Amino acid sequence: MSNLILEIKDLYHSYSEHALSIENINLEIGSGDRVSILGPSGCGKSTLLRLIAGLEKPDQGEIRINDIKVSDNKNLIPPEKRNIGLVVQEKALFPHLSVFENICFGIKKNKDKDLIASELLNLLKINNLKNKYPHEISGGEQQRVALARSLAPKPNFLMLDEPFSALDEDLKETLYKDISQVFSDMSCAILLVTHDRNEAEIMTNKQIRMEEGKFL
Amino acid sequence: MNRLTFWRLLPFAVLVVFTAPLLIVLSSLIGDYSENWSHLFQFVLFDYVSSSLVLVIGVSILVLIIGTVTAWTVTSYNFVGKNIFEWALILPLSIPPYILAYTFTGLFDHYGDANNLARLLLNLQNSTAIFPNVRNIYGAIIVFSFTLYPYVYLVSRSAFINQSKSMKESARMLGLNQFQVFYKLALPLIRPAVIGGLMLVIMETLSDFGAVDHFAVQTFTTGIFRTWYGLYDIQTAMQLASLLLLTVGVFYIVERSSRGSGIYTSNNSTFSPSKEDSLVGYKALTAFLICFIPIFIGFILPIIELILWAYEVNLEFFNQKFISSSFNTLSLSLVTGMICAGLALLINFSIRYKPSAFVQRFSSLLSIGYAVPGLILAVGMVQLLVYIDALVLSGLDIVVTGSLIGLVLAYVIKTYALANSSIESGYERVSSSLDDSSKLLGSSGWSMLSSIHVPLLKTSILTSVLLVMSDVVKELPATLILRPFNFETLAVSTYIYASEERMLQAAAPAIAIVLIGLIPIVFLSKMIRSSRPTH
Repeated sequence: MSNLILEIKDLYHSYSEHALSIENINLEIGSGDRVSILGPSGCGKSTLLRLIAGLEKPDQGEIRINDIKVSDNKNLIPPEKRNIGLVVQEKALFPHLSVFENICFGIKKNKDKDLIASELLNLLKINNLKNKYPHEISGGEQQRVALARSLAPKPNFLMLDEPFSALDEDLKETLYKDISQVFSDMSCAILLVTHDRNEAEIMTNKQIRMEEGKFL
Repeated sequence: MNRLTFWRLLPFAVLVVFTAPLLIVLSSLIGDYSENWSHLFQFVLFDYVSSSLVLVIGVSILVLIIGTVTAWTVTSYNFVGKNIFEWALILPLSIPPYILAYTFTGLFDHYGDANNLARLLLNLQNSTAIFPNVRNIYGAIIVFSFTLYPYVYLVSRSAFINQSKSMKESARMLGLNQFQVFYKLALPLIRPAVIGGLMLVIMETLSDFGAVDHFAVQTFTTGIFRTWYGLYDIQTAMQLASLLLLTVGVFYIVERSSRGSGIYTSNNSTFSPSKEDSLVGYKALTAFLICFIPIFIGFILPIIELILWAYEVNLEFFNQKFISSSFNTLSLSLVTGMICAGLALLINFSIRYKPSAFVQRFSSLLSIGYAVPGLILAVGMVQLLVYIDALVLSGLDIVVTGSLIGLVLAYVIKTYALANSSIESGYERVSSSLDDSSKLLGSSGWSMLSSIHVPLLKTSILTSVLLVMSDVVKELPATLILRPFNFETLAVSTYIYASEERMLQAAAPAIAIVLIGLIPIVFLSKMIRSSRPTH
């Protein structure tokens, strides 16, 4: 395996005594790897991504990103300091910012931000949407913008949480092709969470099944 | 202090400041009891309790009848003017009870405008009065009922709208007539909501000072004021205030627990909104009068009287004093509005940013001020400022007692709930996934607040500033007690003129208060219009 980007050891987490838990998760993702986690709704896939992103704190276990320990049951490096991207199903575009401003949000202090944003607009074929606002564009276009925004800070690890589940089939096929190409060009490691086997097989090289909080 | 600790500690720090004056008032219960207590107990305490009780019972009965019947009429029937009545029924909320009381005496005193007009029309002698004297507890009951019924109307209307058409149709099929559907089915179903509205009315009634003072009705608030300013006994005034505070506290708890619990509605997939029956002839006229009379008594009549007074003094009211009290009022209300909105924003952000069930429960206590009578708050605030001057600022050349600081702080405590409700509901519409995205893109804490939340919440922030401003403009007892020497606001000017029976001069500041009080009504009426069910 190439250089380790993500390393998870013996991870446990539960929201409450009665809620479904994440149990004994171990995972390694190397530079440029494309891994998907497949499983039914509510099996803990999204919780795992939130733990990796630093949006939740694990009860037990350890998460290392780029060889830095970012979470254990005592310490938590906040999400903004982990240099990872996350794209979610609901896109979460900032409604008061234009497409261009959304893409630049994470690189406000970068003097080359205009150049980076323009490259991403070209790469994701959304150049014509530059000055539009999220409510003025379609669901598929919003997903492309969300992806561009996550890629702008040039993370070497990107997570996608059911990014295409709200889109129709034809649109999905086009996006799979375009986005796979973008991933190849940018050579960042990918962790995709989905319940769609077809999507997992097209977008990633390795699939892991998850059920009731455990890897099978 | 790191930023995590700051966001976690903020709600507690604000809570300490907000509850300090109340705790000071309550602490008087375990202090010494002066000899004035035996005087109060022997001669006036019974009057305070009985008058307050009669007032509360009378007002409760009237607001329940007016609030529920008008709400039922506009939600169940279609008649001429219904679309206007739907929102116009809340207009009396813009008139503080003390202003309605002033106009009532101007109209219904022996030589009041209404009696003069009646004598002129009926060609009666000057000694004859058609309308009875209103300067008594019954007049006060009418005044409170016709300014406060919108609290019950608003919750009843919203609850009636959520009742399903099929439920009412089933009742009709089972033999109930329209009136029976109202009082046997619809009314019991909205009981929890109505109780919430009624508690607000009771708290407002018990808190009032201006109206009962004008009608010379002896209640707890006038008793506290007289004990303090008549007997110069602040300790006894605080002990009286504690009793009132504990009473209000009971109503506050009932009101909070009635929120969202046990409101029986049919908001499920099979819900079909009620369809209004179209009324014609005498039935339409009855419905029209049911809705028109409360608006006429609670809004149109006092406005006409105020305009007549203003007209009589021509433009004389537009003098230096009016301008300076308007300026004072607007600047105080603007400062309070901005502080309240800022605090509500920071506290709601801290709860969202570092969620904790404990902090969330605690922070709801921050809204307690709206239930506390302004007079009690003022009593507690004066003592707090005296302590601060004596213990913290002694030796320095700064004195906060009698300054605007105490007044603004009292306003902030009293009106924070209004700002909070607006910002809280604004935050409910901002998806938490935006926060996650913002954090992952390197923007958290202050940066997330300023670049994501503030732009998305600007309407809520503006609304909260306006709501607070309109409430501060009306506040009388706290202003009267805490204002610096010779500092007048519109409410104080109105009170002073009215207490000197210079009603014509009182008109201008009173009209200004009503106009500013219309601001939240505009917002509410907008909400009411947009809440109409679609068939």
